[in-house]
Amino acid sequence: MSVKLNKKTKDQAFWWWYHGNLTGFTHQHMQTFGFMCAMIPVIKELYKDDTHRLRSLKTYTPFFNTEPQIGSMVVGISVGLEEARANGHEEIDDEMINGIRAGLMGPLAGIGDSLIPGTYIPILLSIALGLSTGGSVLGPLFYAVVYITSMTLFMKYIFDKGYELGGRAVDVIIGEQATAFRESMVMVGTIVIGALAASWIGVSTALKFDLGTYIVDGVEKANVLVLQDTFNNIYPNLLSLLTVLFTWYLMTKKKMSPITVMLILVVIALVGVLIGFFDPGLSY
Amino acid sequence: MEINIFQAVLLGIMASLTSVIGALGTTYSWYTLSRPLVASLVVGIILGDIKTAIMVGAAIQVVYIALVTPGGTVSADLRAVCYIGIPLAVAAVKGANLDPSGVQGAGLAVSIGALVGTIGTVMFYSTATMNLIWQQIGWKAIDKLNYRTIYLTNFIFPLVSHFVIAFLPTFFITYYGTDVVANLKEWLPMDGIPMKTMFTLGSLLPAVGIGILLKQVVQNPVDLIIFFFGFTLAAALKINLLGAAFVGAMIAFLNYKIIMVGAAGKKAAAAAEEDL
Repeated sequence: MSVKLNKKTKDQAFWWWYHGNLTGFTHQHMQTFGFMCAMIPVIKELYKDDTHRLRSLKTYTPFFNTEPQIGSMVVGISVGLEEARANGHEEIDDEMINGIRAGLMGPLAGIGDSLIPGTYIPILLSIALGLSTGGSVLGPLFYAVVYITSMTLFMKYIFDKGYELGGRAVDVIIGEQATAFRESMVMVGTIVIGALAASWIGVSTALKFDLGTYIVDGVEKANVLVLQDTFNNIYPNLLSLLTVLFTWYLMTKKKMSPITVMLILVVIALVGVLIGFFDPGLSY
Repeated sequence: MEINIFQAVLLGIMASLTSVIGALGTTYSWYTLSRPLVASLVVGIILGDIKTAIMVGAAIQVVYIALVTPGGTVSADLRAVCYIGIPLAVAAVKGANLDPSGVQGAGLAVSIGALVGTIGTVMFYSTATMNLIWQQIGWKAIDKLNYRTIYLTNFIFPLVSHFVIAFLPTFFITYYGTDVVANLKEWLPMDGIPMKTMFTLGSLLPAVGIGILLKQVVQNPVDLIIFFFGFTLAAALKINLLGAAFVGAMIAFLNYKIIMVGAAGKKAAAAAEEDL
């Protein structure tokens, strides 16, 4: 006789994970308790005796941490595996479940971080920033509605997929088609980042060189070289582009943390102001 | 502009609920309510000036547009930026009579955001450390199969950490901080070195946000060409962001097709070889 989980129990597992994946965070056990909370309804339904319940609950005590949204797939897979174990598949032991969990959390964290906060969110935010020009509420509302709706549907979808496929779920996200899709998504992201940098960063210099005077039609005129104009003639918004490349270089090639880079920029700002390269030219 | 007790309480509650490990969960709290742009709407409603708040929030958002928090290493927990930084920046911008959508207003907002950003990092690590206490209770509950305590460990006990570490500081800083910010004018003249540096920094800092993002997607310098392409679309061709997203989508679509055709070709070649 085979046990099949209620739809309601599976939904409970999903929603506990959805709300609680990081709420009890510590550096020692990042998402372990969130994961356990998701498995409790499943374990309670599948096993009626405490010995089995305790064994299965303990399966989920090792460290767990991944990008929690794409990580709902791992929860789905675990629910599927736990169901199979309750149906007498003795080859599914703690070691196998945790092997799959540990094997997936790293790659999924990488994929999730580069696709969700690394690509999808910046694209949505760029559009939202455009919509909020002049203080319009449209931008924040657009972002909140689109992000929450799409992400909830996405999480539910991959949770269900994970449950259906059990251990085979890996193929869906690491296959050839998926790689091509991922690369292409990253490409849109990179192009939007470029456009974003050009639209939102305005580094400019106040430096001017007085080159004396020259005479046109008998009238004496000042000959001033405005450095910013020269830069703009080379390439529009050149200084902003160079600043971004500089931060990218420090973080990627020099492996500096964002905090260190910010401190370097503080020094550059100060030195730039002192030598007159930067001058916002403001007054109250 | 003053922030009253009631408003400071609401800001404190928001700071407790949001953040990467906030009480509301990842999708709502960290990736929605902890985005400065979304937070600015909430702050605007609390302070009663939605328009200014959103303009300030938009300027701060650019700096943190690409914040990725791999494996719990948080470079900046945004709840301080959102619920301390934005209210103070709104107060400062209004106090100094600056146009919040102008370069100066945005620069001031970004600098204040960055100043309080470090508070957020401290809050993150302190909350995570304090949660260790609750997890000790949780571990004992597992052996007794005390499901209720396991849920409390993950959802309810951490609220105490949030109250102590996020609510109280946010309340006090926003309640008392506006006086400090309002007197900025006299203490720090606009043509002095500190203010000039702060505004210059405000224009440089968004580059870090973009740089973090770029680091995620560009490891090989050749890929920078894609970034330059996007930059040129906006800087030289003056295409707006949504337009650039569609141009990008078209190119990505072609890229996808090319990869898939290439893969099909490889498969066909392998099959042909087998036939021989």
